[in-house]
Amino acid sequence: MDLGEQAEVGLQSIRGLPGVEYADVRAVREEFESVDVRDARVEGVSRETTRGVGIRVLVDGAWGFSATSVSDPASIDGAARRAHDIARASGRVRSGDRVVLDDTPPAQGGYVTPYERDPLEVPLSEKIDLLLAAAAAAREVAGLSWVEVSTDAWRRGSVFRSTDGARVDQTVVQVGGGLAAYAVGGGEVQRRSYPNSFRGQFVTGGWESVLALDLPGHAFEHAREAVLLLDAPDLPFREDAVLLLGSSQLALQVHESIGHATELDRIMGMERAFAGTSFVKVSDRGSLRYGSPLVSVTADATTPGAMGTFGFDDEGVPAHSSPIIADGTLVGFLSNRETASVLGERSNGTARADSWGTIPLVRMNNVSLHPGPDPDAGLTDLVADTADGVLLLTNRSWSIDDRRDNFQFGCEVAYEVRGGQRGRLYRNGTYAGRCLDFWRSCDALGGRGDWTVWGVPNCGKGQPGQVARVAHGAPTGRFRATVGVH
Amino acid sequence: MPPLLELADAALHLDGCDAVEVALSRSDSALTRFADSRVHQNVARVDGEARVRVVVDGSRIGVAVTSELEPGAIRRTAEQARAIARARPPDPRYAGMPAGGQSYSSAGRDDEETARYCADERASAVADMLAQLPEGVLGAGYVQCGRVERAIANSLGLAGSHAGTSAGASILASGEDSTGHAEASGTSVSALDFHRLGARASAKVALGRHPRDIAPGTWAVVLEPGATEVLAQFLDYLAFGGKDFNDGSSALTGRLGEQVCSEQVTIIDDPLSPLLAGVPFDAEGTPKRRLPLIERGIARGVGHDRSTAAVAGTTSTGHALPPPNPYGPVPAHIVMAPGGASLDDLVAGCERGLYVTRFHYTNVVHPLHTTITGMTRDGTFLIEGGHIVCGVHNLRFTQSILGALSHVEAVGDRVQVASDAFFGATAAPAVRLAHFAFTSATAH
Repeated sequence: MDLGEQAEVGLQSIRGLPGVEYADVRAVREEFESVDVRDARVEGVSRETTRGVGIRVLVDGAWGFSATSVSDPASIDGAARRAHDIARASGRVRSGDRVVLDDTPPAQGGYVTPYERDPLEVPLSEKIDLLLAAAAAAREVAGLSWVEVSTDAWRRGSVFRSTDGARVDQTVVQVGGGLAAYAVGGGEVQRRSYPNSFRGQFVTGGWESVLALDLPGHAFEHAREAVLLLDAPDLPFREDAVLLLGSSQLALQVHESIGHATELDRIMGMERAFAGTSFVKVSDRGSLRYGSPLVSVTADATTPGAMGTFGFDDEGVPAHSSPIIADGTLVGFLSNRETASVLGERSNGTARADSWGTIPLVRMNNVSLHPGPDPDAGLTDLVADTADGVLLLTNRSWSIDDRRDNFQFGCEVAYEVRGGQRGRLYRNGTYAGRCLDFWRSCDALGGRGDWTVWGVPNCGKGQPGQVARVAHGAPTGRFRATVGVH
Repeated sequence: MPPLLELADAALHLDGCDAVEVALSRSDSALTRFADSRVHQNVARVDGEARVRVVVDGSRIGVAVTSELEPGAIRRTAEQARAIARARPPDPRYAGMPAGGQSYSSAGRDDEETARYCADERASAVADMLAQLPEGVLGAGYVQCGRVERAIANSLGLAGSHAGTSAGASILASGEDSTGHAEASGTSVSALDFHRLGARASAKVALGRHPRDIAPGTWAVVLEPGATEVLAQFLDYLAFGGKDFNDGSSALTGRLGEQVCSEQVTIIDDPLSPLLAGVPFDAEGTPKRRLPLIERGIARGVGHDRSTAAVAGTTSTGHALPPPNPYGPVPAHIVMAPGGASLDDLVAGCERGLYVTRFHYTNVVHPLHTTITGMTRDGTFLIEGGHIVCGVHNLRFTQSILGALSHVEAVGDRVQVASDAFFGATAAPAVRLAHFAFTSATAH
């Protein structure tokens, strides 16, 4: 059976069971290919295919979900019956409220990621040659310990059917690549990554996007900086420092302290026990001064080429572009059909599941900080405009509390900024602060030309754990925070 | 359903290969999740995986994976792996596959009650935990159970299979201005005392009411097992992996045989522990065994697969992860040995310090220094004169793990199991540490 037939079997099975208020079926097939090179050696190549059917049902105002990788009709029917049994069991433990979905009209349509070259059809030898060329360029640097270069590609085909009549067929293609150069010595492990840490930059699109990164062309300079970091001093501790953040680090700051903080399921306590809640309250919308007037953020699943771009979410809701922060004020949330309904609204289409075997949760799409007003302003201009500060580039680690408030990030590289000039190189740079203090301190942002949408392929949430692939646009930004560790 | 090992035959005899390895799994898992004292998510999943590794021309390796446990799909997956192997250069680090005739110990537990534990029973367990909470206190958490069958075979005659169950539960109780958390994991639902978990979380809410602000700085701490486990897990990640050890990027590189922390600290990797949902073989089919990592504070070993062992001039310790694995081997059954103090003793021996229930969102600051940062949450208390006197607002810590474990004053007499998808299962006791660095505070 193809995915459409599997979904129809599931839909017919669940429809025939008593008391079903709503049900949806997702039949999904996903292919994944990864290639890893270390120095002159191909370290690993793999190709994975997973497929299955997930059935979600609402019975008497309570949810049940069951999924199976066994795609014969009897197994799909069994999954439907199990989902129904689970929903009835859920109804035994309730605190009064029934789940009610919003009135989003059932969608009918399709979507396919635009691309030039399907990354899963590119000959393996071509991928390997590119990665080896980048590794060879990095290895020209004396003192380098090793370099890792990788590329990953996903193609997810999904069919969504609901008892409301929604019918959505979708294929999303995602791809990425990057390098990480390591230098070890003197009690230090230092790394410089290009174009971003944690396996690079990721987009929706084709192999052409990986070629455009020009990994070989950027390998030498990053490897050289990794070696230089070994002899650099640690970033000194300083409170209330002027902090310049590069675009990719600011994107992760958006992810942790705006994206997650404005997920409506978190705000409503649904993630309380594991990932936590949010300092943001529902009643804050329209009044909370989240950031300075420079700070505007939109959750946009239609951003061309971004990793979190799709046609429909996993509840069949068409892709939206929704303002979250406008001129510094909180104006919106990320929602699904259940949480939006509590507010008497419609979902803005951010319910996403990481596979056929998991339920859709409220997840980010492309939650992006708008560029600043001067379209030509960039990193160099912000440095030139800074008398005394610190520039931090490329994420190394992240941590934030269970209300998305108290944060501490580490970056691969730090530079002193003095008198409008980039100065001394520092290693082991960190910065820390509180969410609203940080965003309210924003007094400069790079412009449109400085703005990049960064793919984040490893966003964890939920129990059982799910990993979402999302993205964030951001320019260079200037803030105030504590830098270094006391 | 056919036995998993029989399915391996579909791939093992593929033409034109020097060696073929097939790792199979079949799982049935379920998780009931609750928040605001209602079940809001409730899921079950039947899944499968056949992971085929093929070697051609001596050391050209390809890996392909399918979720379809059906002979035709597994055969096609093997062919895909062979095509990958033929298209890539040789791997000089390939260290061969284990021969047949391996002997495997028993590991974990295959508990029928846990395997059959249904949605109604999970709902009852949730209700039991919630029943321990007083009016006005809401509960959130989960009840989980599952069974996984695994098999591994290779074309050299190796064959092994195993089935095991796991179960776990947690509850976070939330009052007006305080929270309390309790959790338990194991190999069977019968080991989970839902009533006790609910009561423990509830007691912490009461104890933590009207929390005080507390100044960051260096404090003595009593860590509950759930917090100690985070230190053990990150130490595993930063110190016990054979690839990092070979690269010089492990905190134990060049330090085996050295005293790296207190004599009161012993950490082993014990995949055969009855506490943990272990598997008797690794992803290459090497038998798993008990591996001392730190004994009485002295660094003793790291985990190796066949490849990293060859580089280090030793033999595999049975810690291979599924191929291809660019991250190298990592022990996944960490057990920190208990001491002789009860939890009450640990508190009673602390003149002034902080009591920590759990850590949140911890991450690495400096890998070789084993410095990590994270937050306290859901039950942080001030200890004065050997007694818990009040709840406190949460704090951020930034602390070297080996540094903290160098100042162990006492170790708890009971270990608790935590199950973490990233680090595997971990068991650790409560500890009292003389110095622990908190670097900032929150208002909750």
